[in-house]
Amino acid sequence: MDLTESLKMAFKTLTVNKLRSGLTMLGIIIGNASVIAMVGIGEGAQKYITEQLQTLGPNVMFIIPGSRETRELGGLEVPRNLVVADAEAIASQVPSVVGVAPEYSTQSLVIYGNRNANVSVIGTNEDFPRVRSFEVAQGRFIRELDLNSHSQVAVLGSSLAERLFDQNLPLGRRVRVKGVSFEVVGVLKEKGSNLGLNYDDAVIVPITTLASRLVGRRRSPYGIEVTYISVSAKDQESMKTAEFQITNLLRLRHKVRNGDDFFINSQDTLLTIANTITGALTLMLAAIASISLLVGGIGIMNIMLVSVRERTQEIGLRKAIGASQQDILIQFMIEAVILSAAGGVIGTLVGVSGILLISALFPFEAGVSIMAIALAVSVSGGIGLFFGVVPARQAAKLDPIVALRSA
Amino acid sequence: MNTPLISLQNIYKIYGSGVTEVRALSDVSLTIERGEYCSIMGPSGSGKSTAMNVIGCLDSPTSGKYFLDGENVANLEERELAHIRNRKIGFVFQQFHLLSQLTALENVSLPMVYAGTPPAERQKLAAEALDRVGLGERMNNKPTQLSGGQQQRVAIARAIVNRPLLLLADEPTGALDSQTTQDVMAIFEALNQAGITVVMVTHEAEVARLSHRVIWFRDGEVLNDHLAPEEIGQVTAVG
Ligand SMILES: Nc1ncnc2c1ncn2[C@@H]1O[C@H](COP(=O)(O)OP(=O)(O)OP(=O)(O)O)[C@@H](O)[C@H]1O
Ligand SMILES: [Mg+2]
Repeated sequence: MDLTESLKMAFKTLTVNKLRSGLTMLGIIIGNASVIAMVGIGEGAQKYITEQLQTLGPNVMFIIPGSRETRELGGLEVPRNLVVADAEAIASQVPSVVGVAPEYSTQSLVIYGNRNANVSVIGTNEDFPRVRSFEVAQGRFIRELDLNSHSQVAVLGSSLAERLFDQNLPLGRRVRVKGVSFEVVGVLKEKGSNLGLNYDDAVIVPITTLASRLVGRRRSPYGIEVTYISVSAKDQESMKTAEFQITNLLRLRHKVRNGDDFFINSQDTLLTIANTITGALTLMLAAIASISLLVGGIGIMNIMLVSVRERTQEIGLRKAIGASQQDILIQFMIEAVILSAAGGVIGTLVGVSGILLISALFPFEAGVSIMAIALAVSVSGGIGLFFGVVPARQAAKLDPIVALRSA
Repeated sequence: MNTPLISLQNIYKIYGSGVTEVRALSDVSLTIERGEYCSIMGPSGSGKSTAMNVIGCLDSPTSGKYFLDGENVANLEERELAHIRNRKIGFVFQQFHLLSQLTALENVSLPMVYAGTPPAERQKLAAEALDRVGLGERMNNKPTQLSGGQQQRVAIARAIVNRPLLLLADEPTGALDSQTTQDVMAIFEALNQAGITVVMVTHEAEVARLSHRVIWFRDGEVLNDHLAPEEIGQVTAVG
């Protein structure tokens, strides 16, 4: 008996019992849909994070203070934080660097008239826009002079400006932060949230003013402490050199003896870390979804076993009129494979629709992965084969006499 | 072809072992020539169905030789036996055993599917076979839309559609009333006239009388393998 006949026969049998066939496929449908949707979400998240990291600015590195454990506490060593002087040293002594922006951020209420907003107050220097790819929409940014003279000037993020001033022109007005009055000299262009930091909803002031007037914490003996330092290298090629030179410089300045008391993260290393995490996440989601695919396969086996039992007489009759064991085996295998492959295709459609829905509802675009679809459909076909074998063998091995007698 | 169609030589069929041993067939030797029309009779449990299954290559004997159409089938493989059942043998059962989801025509076509006959030819031959049993009008009915007698005729059409040498019928009229029994017997007679060897198991003397030779079983043995139909009454009294 050739394959087309077996296929026709299997289709006939499956369509006679539509409800059962549908329910049997359900497991595989859900399994497939979840594998495709999960992988899609994982890949979407990965793409989203990559995009976010890329908006950090070109050729940017971040120098972050190390954990307390890595700093030497005993003896004569004094624990060192990153300070503004470190940033200045980098700017003047590392030739492959074109911009260095130290940042210190705190949270505070910003007041204008009867309006206020609780936002990040960020102290930085004049290099900030260049290093972090920000543009000024109105007015100007902080200047070197502002830093030297500890001027009480502020640059507002776009949405903060809107919240405080509505349609009114903010330039020249004064806002209050912790009782200190600042003149608004500029407004940044909108940039959106970036890795949880939203500069659109922040106020930026000279780091010197922040240290002397706002934070009021004890200055380290080495100068003004910073949260981190952003550095932009001349170009992509000089990133490695810059990282090496900065490391050496800071080790010297901090008199590092055991472990470094700072980290340097470039956009590249951040991307690598993020990709590792999201990759693992995607894999985990796929693995969880695969379990439902497996359960679907077991469902098919279960129903096929019931079907073999119910169709004992049919099997006996088919054998009596000339079906070989192989014919019966193929017939039942094909039924199982059709169920799971059709379930696979339907599940794929459901999964893809799910992805489209997610893309419409969430900020990131979940990807429809051809790989995931190919994998899911072939895996569910394989599951049909795998879980179809046991019932099909049982059917093939039935003794026709016993089968015919089971009236 | 001078060989007999069926030649059973010292056939044993033993189920179980030790105290539970059942000799369904015990040293059965039997010859049936081509073109014969025989009945197998005997009390319940005497081994009639077992003998039919062996003859029909559905079952293999515990020991003994069986030549079908000159070929020793006792040690053939499962695949080859399936082929023989498909090409040389047609089965008719007491419970018809039609597939309920298929039409009469599709049921009759089924043996040809396993024979690899092309679909167009299957259609034609199945229609012819249904015509032969007088059901040309009912080809597209499902079994549930047919009477018992009609269902059995579909089953007969299915049994003969591959032009077998041998038609085996185990109590073919067991589930039918006397009128339809006569219809079925008329078809058997006609098929035998056309050259098909017919062997049937029956409990009914009137049915057996319509055949040309009666084989009598008792306790797994052949008590009499050449009873003339008129002698049935005497043996029944004995058996
Ligand atoms: N699979 C089996 N296992 C054990 N014993 C069996 C099996 N099949 C048949 N037998 C026994 O073999 C004997 C012959 O059975 P068989 O079915 O051939 O009788 P029969 O003559 O067809 O009877 P009936 O007229 O009731 O159909 C019986 O005693 C039966 O119990
Ligand atoms: Mg019987």
